Amino acid sequence: MFSIFLKAGLAFGGGLGILAVLEQELVDQRRAVTREEFLGAYGIGRIVPSGTMTALAIAYGYKFGGLSGTVIALTALSLPVFVLTIALTIAYHYLRNSRVFDLFPITILPAALALIIVAALKLGKDVFRPSRELIVAGVAFALALFFRFNPALILLAGGVVGVFVFQKVKEGNDTAEKDSGK
Amino acid sequence: MSLWKLAMLIALFNVMTFGNGPVMIPLLQTHLVERSGVLTEDQLLYAFTIARVTPGQANFYVASIGYMLYGIPGAIVATLAIVLPGYIMIPLMHGYEHLRESLWIKGFTKGLTVASVGLILAAVVQIARGTLTQPIAWIILVATLIMTQLFRWNVLVTLASASCLGLLLKWLL
Repeated sequence: MFSIFLKAGLAFGGGLGILAVLEQELVDQRRAVTREEFLGAYGIGRIVPSGTMTALAIAYGYKFGGLSGTVIALTALSLPVFVLTIALTIAYHYLRNSRVFDLFPITILPAALALIIVAALKLGKDVFRPSRELIVAGVAFALALFFRFNPALILLAGGVVGVFVFQKVKEGNDTAEKDSGK
Repeated sequence: MSLWKLAMLIALFNVMTFGNGPVMIPLLQTHLVERSGVLTEDQLLYAFTIARVTPGQANFYVASIGYMLYGIPGAIVATLAIVLPGYIMIPLMHGYEHLRESLWIKGFTKGLTVASVGLILAAVVQIARGTLTQPIAWIILVATLIMTQLFRWNVLVTLASASCLGLLLKWLL
């Protein structure tokens, strides 16, 4: 199990990259889990705090090894990213005192800002066309930027609004997702 | 800000955003950069860059923030604040059919995600005010968007190319 999750933890591309490795290992090669069950667990994992992939590691670590299994799966999944993150942060501390640091504002930093924009674009494919989604996102944008509302409250408010506005919309999307998944 | 308070904030943001890395950006920006001032915009951007170039879970850049503020203990505590709430997965696995069918939850997550798009873009404007002080920075921002959205280059190639372009422009101008 350690090796399966370590392999998953080495996959690039965030959630989807890890998902592909786990699906191949658990469903296709070892037949430890049916595809339906795997997709079901993925569906729940999406609404679990900690992120979908961490949630899947906990779910399958527990299923095949109890609580100690979760520790093994989590450690294996998280080890590569944790070590690399710390190493790159230490690099930042060294660079801070060097000339390279002065170049950050015209290299890495604006590029990173662009990547945040890209992340937002990916989250909201429906948002960028005339729709109810556009209105909710626009109001959230204005409340945060111009009225300095706490973003945590705006997120919750968005969720509550969603309960009333998006229930049926989401259902349509979900069936489409399932179909394309098969 | 104490290590304990940092852990509580991260755990709270984690629960609120279902552990979504990018969605946590506006929350971290407001609370750690703007209000308490313990982190700079540059540090937040650097941490997010790390998340994009490392394999594994995309929300582990909080470990970088933990490290910047408190060293290794900070990194471990921040990571635990992200991972431990995930144990709710175990009870959920048993009642999942019921949960998956819940339109309430679907509507809620959809609304939250849509609002987060607006929030992230608002945070981008905030951060840009502090970060994009030179014309070259704006060019790099646009160039990066083109590389990822039009050319579909992967993140590592994009970051390397954008950085080279920045250096080249600096040298030319």
